[in-house]
Amino acid sequence: MPHFEIGYQPAHSLAKVTLQPNESVIAESGAMVGMSTNVNMQTQSKGGMMGGLKRMFGGESFFRNTFTAQNGPGEVLLAQALCGDMVVLEMTPNGYFIQNSAYIASSMDVNVETQTGGFKGFFSGAGVFVLKATSQQPGQVLIGAFGGIQELQCDGNMVIDTGHLVAWDATLSYKIGKSGAGWIASYLSGEGLVCDFTGQGRIWIQSRNPGEYGQAIGRMLPPRKA
Amino acid sequence: MRYELLDKPDFSMVKVTFDAPGETMVVESAAMVARSAAMTMETNMRGGIMAAAKRKLLGGESIFQNTFTAAAAGETLYFAPAPEGDVEVLELDGSYDLMMSSGAFLGGAQTVNLDTKWGGARGFFSGTGMFLLKADGQGPVFFSCYGGLHAVDVGPGGYICDTSHVVAFTSGLQYNVQKVGGLKSLFFSGEGLVCNFQGQGRLWISTRNPSSLANFVQPYRPVQRSN
Repeated sequence: MPHFEIGYQPAHSLAKVTLQPNESVIAESGAMVGMSTNVNMQTQSKGGMMGGLKRMFGGESFFRNTFTAQNGPGEVLLAQALCGDMVVLEMTPNGYFIQNSAYIASSMDVNVETQTGGFKGFFSGAGVFVLKATSQQPGQVLIGAFGGIQELQCDGNMVIDTGHLVAWDATLSYKIGKSGAGWIASYLSGEGLVCDFTGQGRIWIQSRNPGEYGQAIGRMLPPRKA
Repeated sequence: MRYELLDKPDFSMVKVTFDAPGETMVVESAAMVARSAAMTMETNMRGGIMAAAKRKLLGGESIFQNTFTAAAAGETLYFAPAPEGDVEVLELDGSYDLMMSSGAFLGGAQTVNLDTKWGGARGFFSGTGMFLLKADGQGPVFFSCYGGLHAVDVGPGGYICDTSHVVAFTSGLQYNVQKVGGLKSLFFSGEGLVCNFQGQGRLWISTRNPSSLANFVQPYRPVQRSN
């Protein structure tokens, strides 16, 4: 299995993936920063045309890249676009749900699929489309956050702002809804949409919300043409 | 003269402590953070107006650089780059040069010479710019980037780096700009073009890329109405 090593934490984290001969890692489009010259990159729309379209609709990229070490071991350096930490999730029998923009890479045997969350996903502001990662064998998923990452233990019920969600154990059931008693209260609270979790499992959250950040900076910039 | 790098890696800053009056340090315009009051600061275009204009236009550096000269032993100077990120220092000894991509130079000893070097037309296609800044001579040279600075010792196998993540490399390395993967990858991989480094030397890669941040913020700008 590829070996993931994360450095430069937390703000400018970089993952070094060490591949044994003929081993592969799948990464999100644009995540590669550097690699050995004997690593071969192939661009595929995994799951075929429909899989690609489904991913694109989910805010993911249509294509993912597969990096394979040829004629000996190799390494690939992976990073996300924004500042923040990364964490490696070891696959469990139940798997994980991952907020789409948090996915960076996974080992070959891990199946990563876009969940058709329907309207609740579409209306969730932060563009919360959810990926489900499952694997019959041991494997890993590399996820990245905006800001720091905290691992929370859900023991019953927990409420998380959708803009701060990174990933959670698939043992948890979740429901996206408004945070206040009504739509107006929810809007005025500034909390927008939240995710209600029920059950037992771990939840990874990010300490900053990319949408909030974009708005804080964006409003100070000169207007762009429509 | 002694120096140390503070607040690494996210908000790196250089602290220089001078050991004798007359010692100097050359720093990019606007990079000074603090200095002892008695120290003199001289703003000049090193190498004359032509060399400075060339550095500015071609190498992405500022026209003016500030030279700080110590008036007494024990005086201190602090300087830092504009964006958050890391700073590295290399002690040049004359046996090799350091090539820096546009905007990476932060400061150095007066005995370090800077020159812009034609990176070839290939530079046009890469994020590194058409020209590279070459530092040679003797003494410390400081360089910085947005994000973390990851050093790779390139050996016989060579190394591939995304064009927009190259910060600096030692003169034992040469590179070619090429596409990675097949034709499909060129358009759809999101990886664009890469630099394939060959030779023997050290390469510094930035772990983040400022244009990715700019691209992220862009849609959040207010929208101008048509009239």
